[in-house]
Amino acid sequence: MEERVGIGTSFDVGVREMKILGRKIQIYYCNSLVDALFVIEILRELLRLVNEHRPVSDVKNVIKNHLAHEQVKEIQTMDEAVDNMLSGLIVLFIDGETVGLVIDTRHYPGRQPEEPDVERVVRGARDGFTENIIENVGLIRRRLRDERFRSEILRVGERSKTDVSLCYLKDVANPGLVDTLRKGLKEIEVDGVPMADKSIEEFLVKQGLNPFPLVRYTERPDVAAIHILEGHVLVVTDTSPSIIIFPTTIFHHMQHAEEYRQTPVVGAFLRWARFIGILTSVFLVPLWLVLVLNDSTLPDWLQFLGPHNHKYHVPILLQVLIADIGIEIIRMAAIHTPTSLSTALGLIAAVLIGQIGVQVGVFTSEVILYTSLAAIGGFSTPSYELSVANKIVRVVLIFSSALFGIPGFVVGSTLFVIYLARVENLNTPYLWPFIPFNPKAMADVLIRTAVPLSRIRPSIVRPLDKRRQPAR
Amino acid sequence: MDGPHGRGKKEKSERNTTYGRIVLIGVFGAVIWGLVGYLSYLLNFTKYGPALILTPLFGAKGYFKSDAANQFSGILALAVASIFVGIVYKWTLGRVKIIWVSIAFGLILWVFVFYILQPLVPGLLPVSKLDRNTIITTLCLFVLYGLFVGYSIAYDMTSSESSRTNGQ
Repeated sequence: MEERVGIGTSFDVGVREMKILGRKIQIYYCNSLVDALFVIEILRELLRLVNEHRPVSDVKNVIKNHLAHEQVKEIQTMDEAVDNMLSGLIVLFIDGETVGLVIDTRHYPGRQPEEPDVERVVRGARDGFTENIIENVGLIRRRLRDERFRSEILRVGERSKTDVSLCYLKDVANPGLVDTLRKGLKEIEVDGVPMADKSIEEFLVKQGLNPFPLVRYTERPDVAAIHILEGHVLVVTDTSPSIIIFPTTIFHHMQHAEEYRQTPVVGAFLRWARFIGILTSVFLVPLWLVLVLNDSTLPDWLQFLGPHNHKYHVPILLQVLIADIGIEIIRMAAIHTPTSLSTALGLIAAVLIGQIGVQVGVFTSEVILYTSLAAIGGFSTPSYELSVANKIVRVVLIFSSALFGIPGFVVGSTLFVIYLARVENLNTPYLWPFIPFNPKAMADVLIRTAVPLSRIRPSIVRPLDKRRQPAR
Repeated sequence: MDGPHGRGKKEKSERNTTYGRIVLIGVFGAVIWGLVGYLSYLLNFTKYGPALILTPLFGAKGYFKSDAANQFSGILALAVASIFVGIVYKWTLGRVKIIWVSIAFGLILWVFVFYILQPLVPGLLPVSKLDRNTIITTLCLFVLYGLFVGYSIAYDMTSSESSRTNGQ
């Protein structure tokens, strides 16, 4: 045992030897992961036994009885002992016994639940997932006290031994989906998954060269609980506050918790504004480009468009690309810049580059206007992953519009729709409920229905129990 | 509830919803892509708006004075025609859940309208005299329409069948 875990070499693993009831016992621990207060409490209880010098026949059970903790487990093999110890449990061996005792005294370094940065709401719960799988499942279970809620735990990674949990409602979630995911998780053979959720996702869904996000992440326990109730299956990964929701369509990436915190009408309005923003982020710049580059076909009612100031020296396509990539660079720079400096960064970006770029003659004002609108549309996309994928599509459309004119734009957009309709993961068409069309579900997407009116679960998860409310 | 009586009743209602579904799919397909078509007509991407469907009845000028009214009534007429397209699709290709088949259906529909029906439609030039933008834009619209209607119907038919077999 000492050899295997490197006691004496690693500073954070150790062993304590004691003599209790005439037997030698050893307690192995990993002090970076255990809560010392619990251990002291347990040791104190054991030391009380030392004072009672009565001869005892069944030492193991007496000691087990005196372990003051609710989670005590017997283990048979050395492998289990090592795994448990390195997870932060303490392992107790008694001289002359074939089993070891494991006591759960874990205390992982971590933070308290905080409101997640990307999914803020004006009103409502402010807690968010943390890096601790136990706390995360606890946050969900606090919202679903159902006896049929299941959270299976699996270990992934030969060396990292990361805990991964599958959460679902036993009588709602589609068993085929749960089996597929469980099988997928068990088949993962890799040394470790330090990038937790993302690595797991890459093993479970075949992404290929598709830039579009195939699963939805959330850091909000209330969003997670809603999806469980709808019949989705969640994958919780230890060491990550992001929880994966299966299966997802593109419209899952366009929803935001805020819509459900407002009245249905306001929620619907917010959602429409958001749809317009997302469409803007993809189509506005290429559309403008194709209109102004083909002056001859520009309809009369749009004659006001386009650069009337022909004093620019850089071709429009190049301007658009420079502006687009410039915005991306500014955004990336803003992420790495400390908050105290980011105001200055914003100032430089907005005033210097935009304003002076126009005055110098590198940019025309229209390019700045439309690329900024598209960028803001991108920022209004609730899912960051989707907004980046949309940006790539926009650049492709810009190229095809500039090279092939109107046919380029039209064919490009058509191929984009066909491509999205073709994407399918875990038997879920990506554009559902638009293509294939499902009127009721599409209505749910377009107008947010009030909770008392949404009586059935979405059919895309193929729930066992279709109703959310008893039939009337 | 799983007696022969209950079962039969449920099956009947499911079949009804499939026909209602096809009507809805057809109508929405026509309205959505009709509006997109109208937009591309407004942007001069194509010479023909949705009002093209009304020209055999009212001539190239249209029934209403304003172009917008003609176009919107064209979309309505498309919606009605689209129901029949949906039913035809259900009878012919409904069971094939392959996306390319639906796209090919859209292409065939375009060929049908622009080659075979062309002499019947006043104002519609033969394809050889159409400009490139119009041809490509209408082709794309028909492809998207075919994809929407065809794939939706096929998905609906195949998935309702599988859920029924799962239920038994």
